[in-house]
Amino acid sequence: MIEVRDLGKRFGDVVAVDGVTFRSQDGAVTALLGPNGAGKTTTLRMIYGMTRPDRGEVSVDGIDARADPLGARALLGVLPEARGTYPRLTAREHVEYFGRLHGLRGAELDRRCDALIDLLAMAEIADRRAGGFSHGERTKVALARALVHGPRNVVLDEPTSGLDVMATRAIRKMIRLLRDEGKCVVFSSHVMQEVAAVCDSLVVVARGTVVACGTPDELRAKTGHESLEDAFVALTDSEEGQP
Amino acid sequence: MKSGRASFWVTLRKELLDGIRDRRSILAALVPLAMIPAMLLFGFDRASDEMERVRNIKVPVTGGDRAAPLIDWLDRQSGVDIADGPDDPREAVRKGEVGLALVIPEDFAERFDRSKTAKVEVVVDSSNSRNRRTADRLRSLLRAYAQQLAAQRLVARGVSPEVIRPIRVASVDLATDRERMAPAFAFLPMVLLITVFVGGLQIAIDSTAGERERGSLEPLLINPVSLLSFVGGKWGASVVFAWACALLATGMLLAVLEYSPLQRVGLDLDLGPPEITRILAAALPLAPLASGLQMSVATLARSYKEAQTYVSFLMFVPMAPLMFSIGAPVERALWKLAVPVLGQHVLITSALEGKPFAPLDFFVAAAAALAAAAVFVYLTARLFRREAIVFGR
Repeated sequence: MIEVRDLGKRFGDVVAVDGVTFRSQDGAVTALLGPNGAGKTTTLRMIYGMTRPDRGEVSVDGIDARADPLGARALLGVLPEARGTYPRLTAREHVEYFGRLHGLRGAELDRRCDALIDLLAMAEIADRRAGGFSHGERTKVALARALVHGPRNVVLDEPTSGLDVMATRAIRKMIRLLRDEGKCVVFSSHVMQEVAAVCDSLVVVARGTVVACGTPDELRAKTGHESLEDAFVALTDSEEGQP
Repeated sequence: MKSGRASFWVTLRKELLDGIRDRRSILAALVPLAMIPAMLLFGFDRASDEMERVRNIKVPVTGGDRAAPLIDWLDRQSGVDIADGPDDPREAVRKGEVGLALVIPEDFAERFDRSKTAKVEVVVDSSNSRNRRTADRLRSLLRAYAQQLAAQRLVARGVSPEVIRPIRVASVDLATDRERMAPAFAFLPMVLLITVFVGGLQIAIDSTAGERERGSLEPLLINPVSLLSFVGGKWGASVVFAWACALLATGMLLAVLEYSPLQRVGLDLDLGPPEITRILAAALPLAPLASGLQMSVATLARSYKEAQTYVSFLMFVPMAPLMFSIGAPVERALWKLAVPVLGQHVLITSALEGKPFAPLDFFVAAAAALAAAAVFVYLTARLFRREAIVFGR
C-alpha cells in the first residue's frame, strides 16, 4: 500500500506539486491521470525517493520513505520516466543485474528472470544486446528489471507511452496480473482510454493538485459526463477555460 | 540479504562486463600500450644505428689516386672503410646515392708537393644527422692527419711543432654510457603513469556521464543500494582496467628491454626487471586516484562529450610535477611523498637511479594517493544525491 499525504515540491519559482494526497490499496490499480506538466512525474519521483519533497509524507507498506528511503525502495518496483538500457548488455543481463542488486542469486534469480521474460513475451530478445532495441523492447526490459525482485508495490510512469498495440497489450496484461496477485499498482498517464482499460481508482491531477479522485463511475457521476474523457476534460480544465 | 559490499561487487562486475564489451574502452587502453614497444624499438634502433655508423664510417673517395698517402693513412685508421667515390660527387650526394664523399681536387698533388695548403673537400648533405656525424668524424681524422704532417714539416725545418700549438685542449667526458642514454629513457615512467591514467578513463566516463546520457542512471539509483556502493563499484571497475593496463604495459616494457638490441649498442643500462617493477609499484596506487578524480569530474559535466573534454585535461595531472622540474630529478622530501602524484614521482626518480625505495616512503605515497581517491569517490557519491545531476540540467 502506498500512501501520499500533502506532498509539495517547488523548483525555483515553479510549483510542481502542491498538496497531493492519495492512497493506493493492495490488489488495486490506481491511475494518476493528468495533462502534461500536471506534476505526475514529480509526484512519482517523490514516492520512490529520487526527488526530496519540500513537504508532506510518503509511506510504502507503512515505511516512511523519507526516514528510510532504502527500506521503502526495497518494497517498490519502479518503471521511471527514463528507460535507458545498456547497449552492450543483453535483455536478460539487465534483469539479472537489477535482481542481484536486490540480493537475488542463483536458481532463484534464474527463475525470476525466466518468468518475467516469459510474461512479457521477451524470449526472442532475451539474449540479444540492447543496443538495437526498439522503444517497445526497451520498455519491456525496463519493466522486467523493475519487477525482478517481486515487489509488493509497483510504480509505473507512463508505462505505455509511445508503444505500439502489441506492446501496450503486453504491459496492460502485466498490470492486471500484478493486481490479481494482490499488489499495489500506481501508474501515471495522460491517456484516457489507457486508464479506463485497467484502473480501479483514479486520481486526477492538474497544476500540481488533486482535482478529483474515485472510481471511474464515481467520476462520471460527479461531473455529469457519460464519457470518461469528457469528465477528464471537465476536471482538468483551467479556470480560464483553456484545454 | 543485500549488503553494501554485495552491491559493490555486483556493480563492479557489471561495469567490467560492460567495459570489456566496449570497443572504445579497450582501444583507449590499448593505444598507449601499442606505442610503448614502437617508441622503444625506434629509440634503440636509432641509438644503436648511429653509434655503429660513427664507429665504422664508409668514405667514398673521388680522385683518391691524387693523394695516395692520405688515403692509405685513412684506410689504416680503425673503423674507416675507403670506397671508390662517384664521378660527380655533388650530384650523387644531392640525389642521396651516397651520404657524403671525400673529393681530392686535381691540383692537390702539385700544391702538396710544393708545401702549399692543399684543399680536400668533404661533400655532405648535413640535413641528415647520420651524415653529419660521419662527416664530423672524417673531418677530425683529416685534421689529425694535417697536424701530423705539419709537425713533420716543422721538425724537418728544425722548428718545434709546439710553436704552432700554443694551447692544447683536452676534454674529459665523465658521463657514463647510462647517463648519456638517460634522456632516452626518461619517458618510460611517464608512459606507465599515462597508462594508469588512461586505462580506466573510458569506464569512469561511461559509468557516470554516459549512464546519465543513456537515461539508465535514474532506474539504477532507484534500486535499494547506497550511493557509495554504486559509485564504489563503478570506481572499482575503472581501477581494475587501469591496473590491467599498467601490468600489460610493464610486461611489454620488460619484453622489449629483454629482446632489444641493448647489447649491440654496448650499453650497460641499469633498467631491468627490479627497476621496472619498482616503477610499477610506485605507479599502481595512482590508479584509484585517477579513476576517482575522473569520475567526479565526469559526473559534474553536463554531457558525455563535455565529460570527455574535461577528463582529457586531467591527463596533465600526472605530468605536472615534471613541468616544474624539467630535467632535474624530484628530490626526496617527506612532504613531497605526502602529496599525491608528486610522491609517485619521488619514488620513480629513486627507482630510476637504481635505488630501492624505503617501505615507509612507499606507504606514505600510496596512502596519500588512496586517501585522495577516497575523497573523490565520496565526493562523486555526494554529487549523485543531487537531483540536478541525476536528472540532468
